[in-house]
Amino acid sequence: MTQTFDKTTRTEAPLRADEVTALRGFLDYHRDTFRWKCAGLSQEQLAQAHPPSTMTLGGMMKHLALNEVGWFGSSLAGLPYPPPFDDVDWDADPDWEWRTAADDSPEDLRALYDDCVRRADAAVDEALAAGGLDAVSVEESSSDGPFSVRWILLHMIEEYARHNGQADLIRESVDGMTGE
Amino acid sequence: MSDDELVVSTGSTDERVDPPLHGDEVAILRTFLTYHRETLRLKCAGLTQEQLAQQLPPSDISLGGLMKHLALVESQWFDYYFRDFPHAPPFDTMDWDADPDWEFDSARHDSPDELRALFDEAVARSDAVVDDALTRRGLDEESARVSPRTGETFTLRWILVHMIEEYSRHNGHADLIRESIDGQKGE
Repeated sequence: MTQTFDKTTRTEAPLRADEVTALRGFLDYHRDTFRWKCAGLSQEQLAQAHPPSTMTLGGMMKHLALNEVGWFGSSLAGLPYPPPFDDVDWDADPDWEWRTAADDSPEDLRALYDDCVRRADAAVDEALAAGGLDAVSVEESSSDGPFSVRWILLHMIEEYARHNGQADLIRESVDGMTGE
Repeated sequence: MSDDELVVSTGSTDERVDPPLHGDEVAILRTFLTYHRETLRLKCAGLTQEQLAQQLPPSDISLGGLMKHLALVESQWFDYYFRDFPHAPPFDTMDWDADPDWEFDSARHDSPDELRALFDEAVARSDAVVDDALTRRGLDEESARVSPRTGETFTLRWILVHMIEEYSRHNGHADLIRESIDGQKGE
């Protein structure tokens, strides 16, 4: 089995919108773009790298799932990491999510990813209700205090867009598929 | 942010400014955009004309092509759409119907210095357009031209966030291409 995503259903960021709607629209656009880049591929294809880079699409999906619950769950809301990220020994295995994705089926990767996105959106809903985009994170950065919701949303947009750029070239090398 | 606060990388050292963690909307959008323009400069720094033309097959994208493409994208959004000006040279005289990938294809004939000068000029012109717009209606100001797809105008807010994700996506391309040229990696 493979993952599925119908590109015609991809979220588009509205052209004239307030700040919250624009930022969440762009983030959803990139989440959907990433789902599309991973759709229709076998477990072996999701584990394929484009040398000399060692990144894979499956590894990236598990990495972005981790980023969702890392930034929105742990940093913003102070929540514990959900399984399977909660009992990883990150000091011993800092690239755990990239490495272990090769053992996961396409459906399992996508289910984990979708679950982490849902958790992230719930944390954003709650933070916005409490303090809008200026609301700050429970966890603080090492040197400059807490992060605002505004900063985390923009960071996630650029994080996703950057990984989607890498995904563009990896996907093209796997089966020739290209496109924004 | 004033112009003299913008850090310009002249070589391959990382002088990028991290976006403020709790700044207002204008400050944070402009710093993220500057950060990604700087990232592209870093990804292209220290390479010869031949290296800037190198591809990572099967993709036909090159770093030099990306730099020229993003110079075009700057002019397209801030000159053409936002204020209804013609595209800046050399993009104003191109026949896009005949050669839709002109900027990507022609970049291999440009020296590294020429590509960088074109890019830096495009960025400076865009920043001046944004500075000017912010003295008026700010991020809610609407573009002079409309989207050919929806017929709607774009807000300056949408254009700035779009430019951040446009650059980030291309910097993702640049990551893999640069690594394939000389092994250099990094955010």
